[in-house]
Amino acid sequence: MGVVGNSIGLMFGLPGQGMHLHLDALSLLFGCILLPQVVAASVAGMRASVAFWAFVLGMALALLAADGFTLIFGFELMSAASWLLVMQGDRKPATLYAGVAIFSGACLIPALFLPASSLAFVLIALGAGAKAGLAPLHSWLPRAHPAPPAGVSALMSGGMVKVALYVLIRYAFINLAPAQQPWWGEALAAAGALSVLIGALRTVLEVELKTALACSTVEHVGLITVGLGLALYAKAIGDAELSGVALQAALLCAVAHGLFKPLLFIGAGEVKHATGTTSLNWLGGLMRGMPRLGALMLLGAAGMAALPLGPGFAPEFLLFHAVIGAAATGGILARIGFSALLAVLGIGAALALGAAVRIIGLGFLGRPRSLHAAAAEDMRRGPFVAMALLGALAIPVALVPGLLLDLLNPVIMLLAPEAQTPPLAYAPVTLLILAGLAALAAGFVQTRWGVRGLREVPAWNGGFGRPPAWLPFGDPHTQASATGFAEPVMRVMGKGLLGAGMTDPAERFLLAPLFRIQTRLIRLAERVRRATIRERLAFVFAVLVAFLLALGLGQGG
Amino acid sequence: MLAFALALIATALHISLCFAGAPLLMGLVNKLRAWLLGRRGPPVLQPYRHLAKLLRKSTLVPDTATDLFTLWPLGVFLALAVATMLIPSFATGMLTAQAGDYVTIVGLFALARAATMLGGLETGFSFGGAGAAREALFGIFAEGALLVLLLAFALLAHDTSLDGIATVFRTAHIGISVSLGFALAAMLTVALTETGRIPTDNPSGHLELAMVHEAMGLEYSGRLLALLEFAGMLRLLAWMNLIGTIFLPFGMARAAEILSWPGGLALWVGKLLVMAVALSVFEVSRAKMRVFRVPEFLGAALLLGMLASVFLFVAARIGA
Repeated sequence: MGVVGNSIGLMFGLPGQGMHLHLDALSLLFGCILLPQVVAASVAGMRASVAFWAFVLGMALALLAADGFTLIFGFELMSAASWLLVMQGDRKPATLYAGVAIFSGACLIPALFLPASSLAFVLIALGAGAKAGLAPLHSWLPRAHPAPPAGVSALMSGGMVKVALYVLIRYAFINLAPAQQPWWGEALAAAGALSVLIGALRTVLEVELKTALACSTVEHVGLITVGLGLALYAKAIGDAELSGVALQAALLCAVAHGLFKPLLFIGAGEVKHATGTTSLNWLGGLMRGMPRLGALMLLGAAGMAALPLGPGFAPEFLLFHAVIGAAATGGILARIGFSALLAVLGIGAALALGAAVRIIGLGFLGRPRSLHAAAAEDMRRGPFVAMALLGALAIPVALVPGLLLDLLNPVIMLLAPEAQTPPLAYAPVTLLILAGLAALAAGFVQTRWGVRGLREVPAWNGGFGRPPAWLPFGDPHTQASATGFAEPVMRVMGKGLLGAGMTDPAERFLLAPLFRIQTRLIRLAERVRRATIRERLAFVFAVLVAFLLALGLGQGG
Repeated sequence: MLAFALALIATALHISLCFAGAPLLMGLVNKLRAWLLGRRGPPVLQPYRHLAKLLRKSTLVPDTATDLFTLWPLGVFLALAVATMLIPSFATGMLTAQAGDYVTIVGLFALARAATMLGGLETGFSFGGAGAAREALFGIFAEGALLVLLLAFALLAHDTSLDGIATVFRTAHIGISVSLGFALAAMLTVALTETGRIPTDNPSGHLELAMVHEAMGLEYSGRLLALLEFAGMLRLLAWMNLIGTIFLPFGMARAAEILSWPGGLALWVGKLLVMAVALSVFEVSRAKMRVFRVPEFLGAALLLGMLASVFLFVAARIGA
């Protein structure tokens, strides 16, 4: 091991070159995002898995890489190890997963060795975007992320997509900076907006808890990418304040998402352990049997829905301000585009709110929809410690985002040296103080004029009678199901955007044609394999004749 | 120092007037509605009596509800209380001005909506669930429209805090612009939906299949219901303040000048009266919409909001 310049050389790797590691502010930030998730996932039960630690090693190598070979080695190690982990859970999405990993590798490897140019950026964006689950290359993510055990799902959603985004950030902002163009940022923002819309909509519609969480990851990757795209655009046109705010939004969103999404995934794993299912149609009333899990999930869901005083609001707040800043400058078409982006982000935020309410309201509140949900016992110790750790770390993100933004400043200076970062106008502590005042006033009114005590009675339920004795929690069909809750959204937005079959547009327009081409090629190959000896001889003869003819014509001419 | 003391007093006055006056505003709207329908109507002070009655009644908890049953009304109330404190009423330059960013206000409304929906899903009965599902649907378009509107305001005022928008709109010569007209129409649409008035929801409806807001609070009683009802009154006042601050900022007092307060207060009361009359007239002259028409209604608001900004872009292009 030797130190060359400011990077550390390792003894193995390419002959004559070795591998080089380097730690700067950006790697450090993403390392800090990764660390709590790794600790949480290992505490939650992945400690003994070799593939898990290979996965972690791959991510660490990709973050610390100082040369292209190390980066690709770490990235592919991460892909391969996570493929093994996905395969342990479910074989079906593993093939698709491997295909996407190969595609992203095939885009990244040439891009790393190209000179700084638009082609290199496109390849990086395709490769890293496919791995991060950026629309339109996202349709594998809701299939593959829920497959492995909860700890791995947590790390894949919270960590792996961040590593892919890290590659995108490092190349788009630092390595390819000499060739930067405004349209790079606009393209990224458009892809991000598409991810937000599709991800958020599918989060509302999915019935499986883990699939819904994976769709929410697509949405958050979209939010981060919108921030990155705006920052890249601002950097190219030289808008110092916009690039600062947009980078703050993207990086803070990455930090917050890296805390609440693993928390939610580990919680989903506990739901699966306690009830044997993650389908919201079979859950309900889990808050009664699993109060600690319910409280932690509530915190995570508040982050997912970007509610004020939750960990997800400050990044969303910054992002809205960044979009408004972007719409105030530039050409008229770009400005109209940015105002549409604002509408998409607003719709996405409200969809995420509906999705989070649906997960908490149908999974944890109300009456149990199955005996398994009714008999659920509280969570095991390991996952509880893991979730409590992530939850505790999410609280400073929620309450003092301003301090956190100060810590992000070195990273922003590294990515966009001229960026300016205005102070945050969102003050959660002030809101808390005001809420405390209102609560005090309400408490005073209650003690002065009100009566105390609560009395438990059968629910009024619009005057309907009690359920029969053989249905201890009432008829499960009389309360809203997960499908029923999403029905109005499905009817108004889903049918227009997803089509009647509720298939993802990316699957319909991207995967399905690919699949058709593959079928056709297989049929052709089969045809060739089954050719009779006469056909083969005739083919060889025809080729020979054609070749000689061409040769003769060439000589004659 | 004096300016700070004056701002403190103005803020305290604003908060106490809003909290004390919210039931009065609701009573006034109910009375006006009844008059317009040719009935005598309940006394204007009836909401106060109603709240006092609910406080004295015992609070029932359904046996199918979880331990968080009592939390949701408190959440709705606190979110709307903070929003009411942050939206300026009769004066600009109050202590809460710094925290009162438009996006924060939208977030607080979303928080109140989330708590209402969770309260509806809490007991696990069909009315609450149906109400929550519809509220989720309405929220999608309402929130999108509200955020798009901010763009038009931010372009005109170069500020995103409500206080800043009001200050600029009061002093600068914006004139009557087409954009602001579109923005007003969009804002009124969203406001009617969010406060649960006709044509999207019926505030006086009980046990209708198509009800939305009322459906989610059906299982609440006693002091929890009082909290929910009071939060509903605060919501109406907060929305009227929001519209008044942005679209009718003329005559708003400055917190640091005590002499401007009486005029500001009188004008504020006048504006609330005008809006209450307008709301009542609109409500009695309209029929309630079918639930699945509401997204179209709100979609139009979203489009109007976008058009408001697009017109500003075009105007800037022509002007330059």
